[in-house]
Amino acid sequence: MQSLELIIVTPTRVIEKKAVTYVRCPGLDGSFGIMSNHAEAMIALDVGPVKYNDLKGENWLATSGGYADIKRNRVLLLVETAEFREEIDVTRARQARERAEERLHQENADRIRAKSSMSRAMNRLRIVQQ
Amino acid sequence: MANLKEIRNRIKSVKSIQQVTSAMKMVAGAKMRKAQERMEQARPYAYRIRDVIQDLLPDVDRSVLKLLEVRPVKRVGIVVVTSDRGLAGSFNTNIIKHAHQEIESVGAENTDLICIGKKGADHFKRRDFNVIETHVEFWNELDFNHAMKIGNGIISHFLNGKVDEIRVIFNEFKNVATQLIIVDKLLPLTFDAGSSRPQNRIYEPSKESIVKSLVPRHLNVQVWRYLLESFASEQAARMVAMENATDNAIEMTKSLQLEYNKARQNAITTEMLEIVSGAEALKQ
Repeated sequence: MQSLELIIVTPTRVIEKKAVTYVRCPGLDGSFGIMSNHAEAMIALDVGPVKYNDLKGENWLATSGGYADIKRNRVLLLVETAEFREEIDVTRARQARERAEERLHQENADRIRAKSSMSRAMNRLRIVQQ
Repeated sequence: MANLKEIRNRIKSVKSIQQVTSAMKMVAGAKMRKAQERMEQARPYAYRIRDVIQDLLPDVDRSVLKLLEVRPVKRVGIVVVTSDRGLAGSFNTNIIKHAHQEIESVGAENTDLICIGKKGADHFKRRDFNVIETHVEFWNELDFNHAMKIGNGIISHFLNGKVDEIRVIFNEFKNVATQLIIVDKLLPLTFDAGSSRPQNRIYEPSKESIVKSLVPRHLNVQVWRYLLESFASEQAARMVAMENATDNAIEMTKSLQLEYNKARQNAITTEMLEIVSGAEALKQ
């Protein structure tokens, strides 16, 4: 079977993986999988986990929104952040979740911002706990 | 014959200048390394997002978004990225010179200037150019929010029809010794004629919504890259300028020291001559 090339680019880092067999991304309308010979596509991504399989097995990343550009067995993910499971700062994510919770209970808080930081924190924590 | 005390004072002042310039060199060096690192991190993202846009544009109906409009060019907005402070060699002079050429090629009456950095803003305001927007005194705490603010400011002039094209003139960081002056056309968004229209591409949730969120993002990211490139270049230019200044000061101290020694020797010789001739006179 042909393999995929996975390139994850964020404003602060680049992750490149060869010989990837499967990628699962969090699309805005639910997550979707990509295998080799996928049709060309451009898909908006939500905050959520990205999973990819390579020779070593399953790998998980926490990402926070962006775009997937699929073209000729090359998957390019342009996302705001990407962290491997072992890189996630659990204390920081917990603190962020608490802060967001507090803000959601306040009257005049920016609810959209609080909710999005909540979902980022929850995403990180979920990936760690898997 | 130069006065001994005078020379001593000059040596002292040159030495203290040398101390200042070498301290400034160290500071610029440290700032440059940090800026260079940030810039190198941001580059791949900026390049990739630009490529994605290039791919996307031929497949998009330009009427969905005002930012995609291509109008006949009547007025041009020129963004000049300079620094807030001087003492960076020819960093600002070069970019201002280049900006003048660019303005001339369009015609000053058809240009609006957006000046980023105090040096450029002061220069063009003093000469009565149409400066429609300035952003100064932010370089020290540069972050992405500045890029968004500046980006939105620049874009607004295109959106409200004030200008039909926006060019950005900035220094691109090649390495410590070289900065390249680049003129980048930010708007309208055009693509290479060679790029082909992709066949049957899937867009989710829809082509329109992707374009609407991706294009503003792209512009802000590019502005962010301009700022980072310019900041790293500024620090590199300052570091090199201060290194040259320090070398010159060392050279100068050396030649002054030589002059001082000569003057001192001369004074001693004269004094001895006087004593000897005085003694000779007494003998007779």
